[in-house]
Amino acid sequence: MDRTDHILIVDDDRDIRQMVASYLQKNGLRTTTAADGREMKAALDTSDIDLVVLDVMMPGEDGLSLCRGLRAGKHRAVPVLMLTARDDETDRIVGLEMGADDYLVKPFSSRELLARIGAVLRRTRMLPPNLQVSEAGRLIAFGRWRLDTTARHLLDEQGTAYPLSGAEFRLLRVFVDHAQRVLSRDQLLNLTQGRDAELFDRSIDLLVSRLRQRLKDDAREPAYIKTVRSEGYVFCQAVTLLGEQA
Amino acid sequence: MSAAAAWRLPPRTLAARLTAILFAGLLLAHALSFALLFYERYVSSRTMMLGSMEQDVPLSVALLERLSPAERAGWMPRLERRTYRYLLRPAQPGGPLASDRARQVTALIDASLQHRYPLSARAVSSAPERFEVELRLSDGQPLTIEVTPSVMPLARWLPVVLAIQAGLLLLCAWLAVRIATRPLAQFADAVERLDPAQARPALSRAGPLEVVRAAAAFDAMQARIRQYLAERLQILAAISHDLQTPITRMKLRVEAMDASAESQRLAEDLAQLEQLVRDGVAYARSTHGAATPPVKLHLQALLESVVCDYQDAGKPVALAGAPTEAAPTTRPQALRRLLGNLVDNAIKYGGRAEIGTHALAGERIAVDVCDDGPGIPEAELAAVLQPFYRLEHSRSRDTGGTGLGLAIAQQLATTLGGELVLENRREGGLRARVILPAA
Repeated sequence: MDRTDHILIVDDDRDIRQMVASYLQKNGLRTTTAADGREMKAALDTSDIDLVVLDVMMPGEDGLSLCRGLRAGKHRAVPVLMLTARDDETDRIVGLEMGADDYLVKPFSSRELLARIGAVLRRTRMLPPNLQVSEAGRLIAFGRWRLDTTARHLLDEQGTAYPLSGAEFRLLRVFVDHAQRVLSRDQLLNLTQGRDAELFDRSIDLLVSRLRQRLKDDAREPAYIKTVRSEGYVFCQAVTLLGEQA
Repeated sequence: MSAAAAWRLPPRTLAARLTAILFAGLLLAHALSFALLFYERYVSSRTMMLGSMEQDVPLSVALLERLSPAERAGWMPRLERRTYRYLLRPAQPGGPLASDRARQVTALIDASLQHRYPLSARAVSSAPERFEVELRLSDGQPLTIEVTPSVMPLARWLPVVLAIQAGLLLLCAWLAVRIATRPLAQFADAVERLDPAQARPALSRAGPLEVVRAAAAFDAMQARIRQYLAERLQILAAISHDLQTPITRMKLRVEAMDASAESQRLAEDLAQLEQLVRDGVAYARSTHGAATPPVKLHLQALLESVVCDYQDAGKPVALAGAPTEAAPTTRPQALRRLLGNLVDNAIKYGGRAEIGTHALAGERIAVDVCDDGPGIPEAELAAVLQPFYRLEHSRSRDTGGTGLGLAIAQQLATTLGGELVLENRREGGLRARVILPAA
């Protein structure tokens, strides 16, 4: 990540705000803090913010509605990392549907937060903004499959769900977001790497072959993921957005 | 005790029992009134027979006395009645009179003839009853009165009418019972389908007053249960939220401290506290399993994705046995969490986990999570599914755990319409089996 990335921390708890800010500063980031939505908007307007860390549970206007407002306004391109108090599927889904780029459950460790900030910045920078089709809450069709980005599973023509592992889902998401573009192994590794800070020591090649199996793709004559000699891989199916899910 | 035991005899359904009681009662009443009618008819016909005999016999005997022996035979058919006739011969041999009725008739004949003739009476046949009373006319010719007492014969259609009546009774009893018990059965069905965690429309208020009242009472009870569940969830969520902010603060503070044995221990305590809060909320939520709609799920794909996630994180989890093609309709997130809890448990106590599937009879499928750990004492296999229950040897801090993992798994299995069964493997270790409907 860029050494001068500017992070805005929005949390109603003063101690958390300050401790997070000082940890991020120690790791070379610039920080600004805000205690509520009003201060957040002021900070966004006056300084050049690269990423917002936003607490969901706040008195007054909560994080979810702030996030939705942010996505509708002039700062819609700023990535948002949500802090939620509950480790709950529905919270996660709602948060991502409101336009957050990622989420982290409280209590979190500062190391984890730093890693997530890095991953979100990396991902959003490597993508042309209009190509982020794989946002949560969407149904995406390609070939004979549909990808449910909320439930994180593939649906076949009969509507049977085929769940994906975390790494498989992240890789497929990267491919779908960059359909028809050749991606190098380095790029793939960077974009796919650990949301959950898990060890990721498998090579991209192994993961690609696992994903091919999942898609029932023939490795010798692949219809979905083609190998480009000495360059990397390309997702060669047309991707259609079937729309937002209810 | 014995009364209760008697009620366990078939038929077991209320409808069948009521039908049987009603039908038996009606049939008995019917039989009694029929018997009474029959008896009345019998008495009156006998009275009639005796009355006519009293006048007829002396008249006939006097007439025969006046006729010449040659003329008597010609009159015989004209003197014949339904229950007796005159014969110009001695009585047939036979025994003494067997019935009161026969003796009564003989005495009546004797009295009507003003005891002027010596009579000798003999029973000739017992079924049908027939007896002969012999006397000598004044010229010495024997005269026998052959009596075959009988009630007026029954009409041939009577048994048919009786059968039809019995059928009608049975039909009426069954209909009445059905009308009375059907609302009860519908009520029971409705109650069975209820899930207190779900806000459902109230039970229907149809049927007799008693059933309507039961339905209202049941609705009220269900509302109370729902309220308790919601309260429990709220309390846990509130506690967990209010704990999470201070825990986050403490965690950040500990991380900002210089690394030392003390801060390391503090961090471990915090991690344990955090786990407890998370599991507590997860347990409260596991009773509300229906957050996501069920889908048709390729079970093998789910198991593979679970195993891959663990393997990617460097955990010793493997798939065993033949892959399954089963595609149950279920909630993938809940099932994933359920299996995750079992796998975590297997890794914690058994070092490694192995996941496999088995098709079971009755359209069910079992997902087994096996480990090589010490297993669980047989006596505690059921108890460990209770929340906060922990085995004595796992209470030490180093194994950690909140005692909620298996309770959550059990709850989730129930919300998925399945069950969780723990079993010690013969080769050692524990087998946690999740049984799901296979379709």
